[in-house]
Amino acid sequence: MMKVKVGQEIPELVKHPTPRQLVQYAGAQGDFYEIHYDQAYAKSVGLPGVILHGLLKAAFLGQLLTDWLGDEATLKTFEVSYRGVDMPGHPYRCRGRVTKVGGDDVELEVWGEDEGGKRTTIGTATVQLAR
Amino acid sequence: MTTTAWVIDKIKTRIGVDGPEVTALVEAGHVTRFAEAIGDPNPRWTKEAPPTFLVALAPVSVHMSDAEEFGTGWLNGGNRFEYFAPVMIGDQITAKGRVVDVYDKAGSSGNLLFIVFETDYTNQRGTLVARLRGTMIRR
Repeated sequence: MMKVKVGQEIPELVKHPTPRQLVQYAGAQGDFYEIHYDQAYAKSVGLPGVILHGLLKAAFLGQLLTDWLGDEATLKTFEVSYRGVDMPGHPYRCRGRVTKVGGDDVELEVWGEDEGGKRTTIGTATVQLAR
Repeated sequence: MTTTAWVIDKIKTRIGVDGPEVTALVEAGHVTRFAEAIGDPNPRWTKEAPPTFLVALAPVSVHMSDAEEFGTGWLNGGNRFEYFAPVMIGDQITAKGRVVDVYDKAGSSGNLLFIVFETDYTNQRGTLVARLRGTMIRR
């Protein structure tokens, strides 16, 4: 069984999103909002350029969790809040830490950082360990 | 100029009212394309859908046109997923969404409009598999 303790950091996941990936994700999700692939449009609405989909960053953090959990635990809740924009061409570092352990239930904080270490996405997750 | 108050009053009348149901099959090819798009090679996604896949099955927000009378752009404020049962390839998922809250907040360059959506996902056996809450921001 998985050993989990409060304060433990889970293995990080570094993603390298590209404009191509944003287009791929737009197609896979069916979200064709122009701010994710049209530079001129993104700038026209006050953004620095095309930005990552919030839900793509959520997917990265979902991968961080499922990579760690394997088949030894089940994801019960997963919540993210987008605090800043991220642009393709820059690494996106996903991290997480155990905040509470009660029996089979484990709570974590998860976050995504830009290359300057700023947490542009923050969130929490609860998981249930397999008996 | 359209104010947030005017848009809020309009959207408030829809709080709690279910939008149209959308039913979709969880197709292997779609899940594969989604897993490739997020860059997640986990072999588990040949049988099961990854945690955020449900957002690709049906639109996650409703009543957007009213909100678009205010501001110039949308931002995603956050998402909360609650999972009750796994979503497997071959499942037939029905999504039913609604607005659950609308409010404004003063931002650095004027008011921001917040709309909170909730979507319930039920499988072909009638089991509630997940619930998604999302906050969309109009600025």
